[in-house]
Amino acid sequence: MDQTNRPALPIRDVSGRVSLIFMVTLAAALLLLGRAETYVVDRARQVVTDLAAPLLELASRPVSAARRVVESTDQYAYVFDENERLREENARLLAWKEAALKLEAKVARFEALLNVQVDPSIGYVTGRVVGDSGGPFVETLIANVGSNQGVESGQAVIDSDGLIGRIVATGPEASRILLLTDLNSRVPVVVEPSQIRAVLAGDNSFWPRLEFLPAIAPISVGDRVVTSGDGGLLPPGLPIGTLVEADDGFLRVQTFSDRSRLDMIRVLQYEFPREIDAQDAPAVLQPVASEVQGETPSASTPSAAPAAEGGT
Amino acid sequence: MSFEPISPSSAGRAGKIALLVLPFLAGFLCMLLSFVPFSRIFGVEVAPAFGLIAVYYWAVQRPDVFPPYGVFAIGLFYDLLSAGPLGLWALVYLIIYGVVVSQRQLMIGRTFSLFWLGFLVSSVIAGFLGWVLASLYFGQVLSPGPVLVQMAATVALFPLFAKLFEQLLQRLLVQG
Repeated sequence: MDQTNRPALPIRDVSGRVSLIFMVTLAAALLLLGRAETYVVDRARQVVTDLAAPLLELASRPVSAARRVVESTDQYAYVFDENERLREENARLLAWKEAALKLEAKVARFEALLNVQVDPSIGYVTGRVVGDSGGPFVETLIANVGSNQGVESGQAVIDSDGLIGRIVATGPEASRILLLTDLNSRVPVVVEPSQIRAVLAGDNSFWPRLEFLPAIAPISVGDRVVTSGDGGLLPPGLPIGTLVEADDGFLRVQTFSDRSRLDMIRVLQYEFPREIDAQDAPAVLQPVASEVQGETPSASTPSAAPAAEGGT
Repeated sequence: MSFEPISPSSAGRAGKIALLVLPFLAGFLCMLLSFVPFSRIFGVEVAPAFGLIAVYYWAVQRPDVFPPYGVFAIGLFYDLLSAGPLGLWALVYLIIYGVVVSQRQLMIGRTFSLFWLGFLVSSVIAGFLGWVLASLYFGQVLSPGPVLVQMAATVALFPLFAKLFEQLLQRLLVQG
């Protein structure tokens, strides 16, 4: 403990140099070995993340509060414009609502007629983003929900605007989200309305790019991109973003969610419907059909219940 | 000095322990600070490398209270928490630490702007090294934008943290 004693200086200088060289070697060795991403490394990451999460949560509270203050002042400044915009949007959406209700009834009727296997309902866990990626070469976030809340690796993470990424590691109380923009993120997607399938690949830039597109694809800038559900990991139909043309010639995607303003997130506990029993056509058809003909058009929800039971 | 009382006063001992522990703790907290989502307020993701500020400051001012294993630990925890290549920032911080310790005579007792300039040079080296190593690690040329933004933000915030560390060091020296 007497490292601060003056006479020991030269010796400490030498020992300091030796330990510096030792540490540099150790770090370089870790960097080389780390390519393998062993179980020990993964465990260590999880433990450290789990330990740091409560601290980060504590620290992120005032940040969130500050953001709310900034946002509310912003909103005061633009309240008139915003009001106008919302009025217009509301008028447009009311027309859409009518169309949607009609279509919903129609789809429910067709699904019943064709004995469509309805997707099981998806459970979810809501949590908060407590930690940023911290470094310039990775795009991950730390959320304050973990395996104790039922979060598992591979589950999709959404916010109010759309898909943001998926869970790649979980501890008991915290988990790590791999964002769509990360170098290692690959998500199977569908470009609507042409239903062209592609893979959305992150490259650490703000806009992930579309890969494995057919040579001649009838798609254009502004098309919607949603998850395709291929591979069975992510639920199909989650909104991701719209197509934009990048300077480098790639088709890229502007995500609906704002990566830098993520706060509340939802982890979807989707399970690929492997073992759904074949549904009995008449049994499903009868209740749905009668409800469609009745006064309420929201008939597709009751039919989801038996399918969900069959899936679990 | 050589006639120190056999059992130094408990305050003195506490001061010595504090001098060994607190700089590291300050560096560690700085490292954690990089993960606090400040980007939410401003809408841009920067995550300044606060840990580098700590490493640089103590390497210049008092490398004896901030040994290489402290630097290594901070870099390693940074790597573990950020889910990046393990050992990347540990290695970069150690190299910066080694270079700065060998050149610290240039900066001791000079003006603050020189101290700041030294940090600018260090962060440029650190950012470049980190970028090269990460590009090699991932096997592709990464976009240098994020690391440039990060280092620019770090250099801009340096004076604030340098003042905080100075306060800490002075408190510790008075106590010890």
